[in-house]
Parts: sequence; C-alpha cells; structure tokens
Amino acid sequence: MKLFAVAALVLAAALIPVVAGEFWTTLLTQIMIFGLLALSADLLLAHAGLFSLCHASFFAVAAYTTAILQVRYGFGTAFAASAGVIAGTLLAMVFAFAVRTRGVYFILITLAFGYIIWGVAYRWASFTGGDNGVTSVPFPIIGPLQITNTTQYYYLVFGLVLLAAAVYNAVAGSPFGLTLRGIKSSEPRLRSLGYNVSLHLYAAFVVSGVFASVAGVLYVYHNRFINPVAASFPVSVEAILMAIVGGSGTILGPFIGSGLILILRNWVSGFFHYYNAVLGIVFIVTVLWAPLGIMGLIARWRKRGRGAGP
Amino acid sequence: MTAPAIEIDRLSKHFGGLRAVDDVSLSIAPGERRVLIGPNGAGKTTLFNCIAGTHRPTGGRVVLFGKDISALPENRRMAFGMSRTFQISNVCTDLTVDENLILAALGNDRRKWIMYRPISALRRLRDLIGAGLARVGLDHRRGETVKVLSYGERRQLEIAMALISSPRVLLLDEPCAGLSPSERQKLSRLVSELPREITVVMIEHDIDIALALADRVTVLHRGRIILDGTPSQVQNDEQVREVYFGRV
Amino acid sequence: MRSAILQVLNGISLGALLFLLASGFTLTFGLMRVVNMAYGAYYLLGGYIGLTVMRASGSFELAILIGGLSIVVLGFFVDRYLIRPLGGNHLSQTLLTVGVAFFIGEFCLAIWGGDNLKIPTASYLRGSVVLPGELYYPTYRFALVIFGAVTAASLWLLYNKTQIGAVVRAGVDDREMVNAIGINVDRLFVLVSALGSFLAGAAGVIGGAFLTLNPGAEWDILVLALVVVIIGGLGSLEGAILGSIIVGLLDAYGRWLLPEFSYFVLFGPMAVLLLFRVTGIFGREH
Repeated sequence: MKLFAVAALVLAAALIPVVAGEFWTTLLTQIMIFGLLALSADLLLAHAGLFSLCHASFFAVAAYTTAILQVRYGFGTAFAASAGVIAGTLLAMVFAFAVRTRGVYFILITLAFGYIIWGVAYRWASFTGGDNGVTSVPFPIIGPLQITNTTQYYYLVFGLVLLAAAVYNAVAGSPFGLTLRGIKSSEPRLRSLGYNVSLHLYAAFVVSGVFASVAGVLYVYHNRFINPVAASFPVSVEAILMAIVGGSGTILGPFIGSGLILILRNWVSGFFHYYNAVLGIVFIVTVLWAPLGIMGLIARWRKRGRGAGP
Repeated sequence: MTAPAIEIDRLSKHFGGLRAVDDVSLSIAPGERRVLIGPNGAGKTTLFNCIAGTHRPTGGRVVLFGKDISALPENRRMAFGMSRTFQISNVCTDLTVDENLILAALGNDRRKWIMYRPISALRRLRDLIGAGLARVGLDHRRGETVKVLSYGERRQLEIAMALISSPRVLLLDEPCAGLSPSERQKLSRLVSELPREITVVMIEHDIDIALALADRVTVLHRGRIILDGTPSQVQNDEQVREVYFGRV
Repeated sequence: MRSAILQVLNGISLGALLFLLASGFTLTFGLMRVVNMAYGAYYLLGGYIGLTVMRASGSFELAILIGGLSIVVLGFFVDRYLIRPLGGNHLSQTLLTVGVAFFIGEFCLAIWGGDNLKIPTASYLRGSVVLPGELYYPTYRFALVIFGAVTAASLWLLYNKTQIGAVVRAGVDDREMVNAIGINVDRLFVLVSALGSFLAGAAGVIGGAFLTLNPGAEWDILVLALVVVIIGGLGSLEGAILGSIIVGLLDAYGRWLLPEFSYFVLFGPMAVLLLFRVTGIFGREH
C-alpha cells in the first residue's frame, strides 16, 4: 500500500512539467531543493536527536562557491558544482565539532555558527558581493548535457533528489543509522557497548552537511543568483520546520513540509504583505497540535481506520 | 599461576571531599565468580564504574588480562572483552528488542560503520540475535519495542546484550534489583550456568544469591575492603555482621 | 591608545545592554529549563513601544517603564498559554518561541515600518562627558555603563543575598526538592520570568536610543545575548555578567580591527571555549 502511494506520488511529480506549466514547474523545483535541505537537517534531528540551526551555512557556502567559480573564474559546471559540494562539506567538518555539546547548547552553538557564515557573506563584500551577491549564474552544462530551460532543470533536480533520497534511505537503514538512533535513545548505553559516540555524531553531522551542500548547488542553478539571505537564520529554522511539519523521521516528510510552506508562502504573499506572521503561526500551531507533522497525522488516521470495527 | 583476569591496584575515586573508593586492591582470577557486597554507599557501583571506565579513577590502576586499561575511555575498554549491566535498567526504550541486541553485537565490530547496506544484509547477525534471546528466555518478545517490556524482561534483555559480544569479563551491577522472587531465581540460575570462559564480577545486595553464586566474596565498607574471602568465611565473620546489622 | 580605551568603553556599554537581555534568558532557563528565543523580539517590541511613548510624552523614563511593562504582560501570556503546554521539550520550545518571534517581528514591521529608527533620549543624557585624559565619550553610553553596573550589582545582591534570591537559587539547583518542601516553583517562575521580560523590554528602549530599531534587529541582538549565555554558562548569573563583558569587548574590538570578519572574532573564542568546557564558564550539566 505504502509503496503504491509513493510510486504514484513520484509518477505525479514526473508529470508536472507536462501538465502544469512553467509557474508550477519552477515552484516544484524549489520545493524539491528545499525539501532536500530539510531532509539534511532531519538526518540529525530524527536519527541523532540533534537540532541544528546552521544548515543554511553549508547550503549557502556550496552555492556561493559554485556561483563564484562559474561566474567570476569561468570554470565549467562539473568543476564548479563538485567544488561547491566539497566546500560545503569541508565547512560541515569544521562546524561538526559542535557535537561536543548536546541539547540546548548544541542548538545555540549551531545558531551562532550559522550567523558567522551569514556575517561573512554579508560583510566580506569584496569577495562575496555583499548584499548584491553573485548574479548571472548560467544554466548548468556538463559535457554534452546542456540545460536550456526550466523543464529540463526540473527533471535534472528530480533525478538527483530521487538519488539523494535513495542514499538517505540506505544510510537510515544501515548499521550506522541504527547506531545514531541508539545514541539518541540512550547515550550512556551506547558508550558502555563500545561505541565512540562523539565520532558517530561527528560523522552524522558531516553526512548531513553533504546533503545540504548538494541542495545548495542545485539551488544556485535554479535561482541563477545567490545572496546572503540564503545563509540566514530563517532559512535554517525553516528547514527544521519543514521537516517537522511534514513529518520528522520519514523521507517524504521534509518534502511534504517544504511543499506546504512554499505553496503557503506563494499563496499568502499574493494578498497579505506580512507573510512571516503566518509562518510564525504555522510554527506555533505545528508545535502545539501536530508535532508529528502531516505524516504523523496520516499514520494516526490510518491506524484509526484499521482499528475501527468490532 | 595464571595471570589474573582483573587486577585492581590501589584504586581510589574521590568526589571532592568524598572518598567513594579508597585505596582498593584486589585480584580476580580468570573464570572466577566474584561477588562484591556491602551496605549502601560502600562504593560498589563506583568501583564498577572505575573498572568499566564510566569514571576516571583519582588514583591507582585497573589491569585487564595483563593490560593496563586505566587511561582508556569507556568505549575502548569494552573492546577488550568487557561487558556490563547497569544498576537501573538502561536499554534503548525507543528501539525494538532486536535492535538493542544488534547494537550490542556490533559494539566492537567494524561493521557498525557501514552506511550503505541495510542491517538485514548482515546475515549472521539474525541467527546470533535469535540465539542470544533464547539464552535468556526472551525469544517470545522478538520484534517488540522495549517500551512494552516489563522491568524483569528489560533486565533479561540487558543480560542478553551483555552476553552477545562473547565477553571475557562480565560486570553485573545488582542484576536482581527490582525483580520478583521467581524472576530472581531465574536470573540466578542463568548466571550460575554461564560458561567458565567468562569471568563474572557481580554486585549483589541479596546475601543468599551472593553466597550461592560466589567463588569468592569481597566486602566493601565506606570505600574500603574490609574482607576478601570465601563465602563461608564471610558468612561467619564478626566485622561483616557488624557492618550489615550493627552491634549484636 | 586613545582608540583602544574608547573601544573598551564601547564594549562595556554594549555588554551592559546585553546583560539586560542575557540575564533574563539565563535565569528563566536555569529555573524552569525554558528556552525562549523570543527574547530578541521582546527587545524590539519593547523598544518600538518605548519610541511611541517617547514621542507622545517626551519622557525617556516613562518610555523605559512602559516598554518594560508591556513585555511583562506579553511574556506572561506567552509563558502560560504557549510555552507551558509544551512540557519542557527544548526543541518544541525553540521552534514555538521562534514562531512567536517571527509573529512579533512582522507585527512591528506592520506598525512601525521598515526604516531604521532611533529613540530620542532625555536631554540630560545627550552630548558627551569628558573623561580623564581629555577623552570625549557620549554621555548616553557612559550612563549605560553605570546603569549596567548598578543593575548587575542589584541583581547579584537580590540573587545571592536575599531570601527570595536564595529560593530561586535553590530552584535552579534542584527544582524537585524546592517543590517538595512546599514552595510553588511555578509561581516563582512567573516572578523570575516577569523580571526577565521587563529587562528585555526596557533593554529595547535603552538600546533603541543608541543602536537602531529595525526589522532584523531582534535577531542580531538575540544572537549576541545567546553567545553571552553560552560563554557564561546557562543558568548562571555570574556567567551572564562575565559573558556580557567579554562579548561586548569582542564585538567592539572585532568591528574596529576586522570589520569584515567581526563575527569570527565574536564567535571564535566561544567555539574554542566550548571545545574545552562544553557548558560554558560557570555552566553545569543539565
């Protein structure tokens, strides 16, 4: 049943550019990209129990690296994109030392780390372009593969996101994934079983940084420009919110959450200027009444359906 | 004479002004069943924690099969064949019985780092889990989340987890605490049936179980050893009686 | 040399402002394990309300008072109806209070607009003072240093030398125990939280007179206050005092010496400290 639903969803997503037109194609590309960012943050949240507020940093650093290499130094997509992912991952390897802390301290430290990158993006104007950022990023070209319109880019992102989701699934179901959930459940227990907890959490942080970096590279080719907003606190916190609204701990959840938040933003900002107030209310409502997100609501609904009857 | 399994040399653990463990030396032979007894606050669990590595000793050494492990962090000591259980049951309640055992089995196994293959692909593991559960009588609980297990069953699970890595030394901290009389019997039998390849060190409050299982008994009081001898020696000792029951 | 001294004064005056915000945050966390990310928004809203009061009445003192009190009221409702149902889950608290902060931020934008605004201050606080060595320094910031010191000292005395302070300290140390001996920790928390809210709102008015009030300012100030709390240790008043001075100085020197990387100067020491002492200077394992 579940497999069928997922397959149907994937098929529907594949048909969007054909049936829905440019606006939706662009929006869905954005939804997938931010869904991937939300997924990266959720790896730490759902499996390791760590609430990171700096994932926008890896996202932005990867995007900036790719943009600067392509636009300012004329490198090709293959090199620029790879360098972007590597740059984001390297930053993750540095920020990962935050795993020496837990709980509230971890939240606060990642918040501060995120600010460092935003601050650099904003103030080191000579390199990053400051407020204006880096513009005129071309469509990606890798050898004979040349993207020339949004539909083609949609399918490229779609394929890569499916691949990323498959990798994520493998990691979550692997011994390493189980170790993380064990650490989240009882750290002293795992330590007494012989696990180097800090090392495992460090590795998890870096892996999640890789996913966030990939999202960043996809973002810069979608948006065709990058500015400090991509590294800002709201982006990091929205990523977590997307994961939770959609359903933390699932693979589909972050993408559903991303869809909900981005469609809501698009719709509301059409008639109400103060969209962030609505977003604030979504935070509050979700936390108070739907902490397991949409996937949680679906699961509860299905359980009730199954349990009903004599 | 064969080298001791565990050798503790002038071990001390101070918490500020409190001397929880005070200059303790003892030697445990391979295959021995050693029971630590003593009134509350005697320092038994602290001593255990120093052996296992949860605490760093303030002074002294811990030597395991001839290797000085005093400076090793907790998770590295477990790689030398030590397993422990906790006084208050400490298992991963959000996970299933199987998952807890898998984690225990992989604790010293490099395969715990695999990120690309599912757990189900590790074939030998499944049989190992089955055998491990059968050994403690928990096979009927296979696949269940630990949350639904009774306290006694969680205790059994913890023992299964401690045994699954084929340890050379098993540290049991009050394994019978919180169990009903029949559960205590079951557990006591389980421990007595363990093979002699495993050296067992146990903290136990229940004197009857302690004396029945032990080859040797070590009595602790206020962080120091007051007697180290056979069960009958300890049973008949004046000082031990005084410590436990006050002056007669 | 002269500039160095000026930067020290800049740092300490900023530190004084940060202390007002950080002390409330650290004490509410210490007592009730509540993470309240809306403190920055409290600052901003309090500041804007103070601006309006100032424009209407011309009294800076009244502006500070009303600014603080309005946040006490807001904070009470947020604590009781939004935070309390969450039951201690830090993740939920963080998300919820971020949502509250977003809402308040937009509210402020709707009412006061997006321009950078500054609160005109009382006439006796304008101009400069002359310090030894013919050093001219803005009177306002100098007064802020004194005000900060007085507040810190008062809070410290209240916390360490009074009976109610002792009860709060006991509550921070062992909440269950205090409850068990019959003291209502929840009511205590309302008091502590109200104090924190007042300080946050008042800080907004005080800060709004020499820093600007604008959308985004609530996050800028919050991050600085959080770094104070991280360095000083969650739940420690002494930590908040020490942390405020350190962060204030780091910010001033960072902006002066390395403006492009001032955040590095600010957060670098914090990161290094945490590598060695994961709970901050005076913090404890929670």
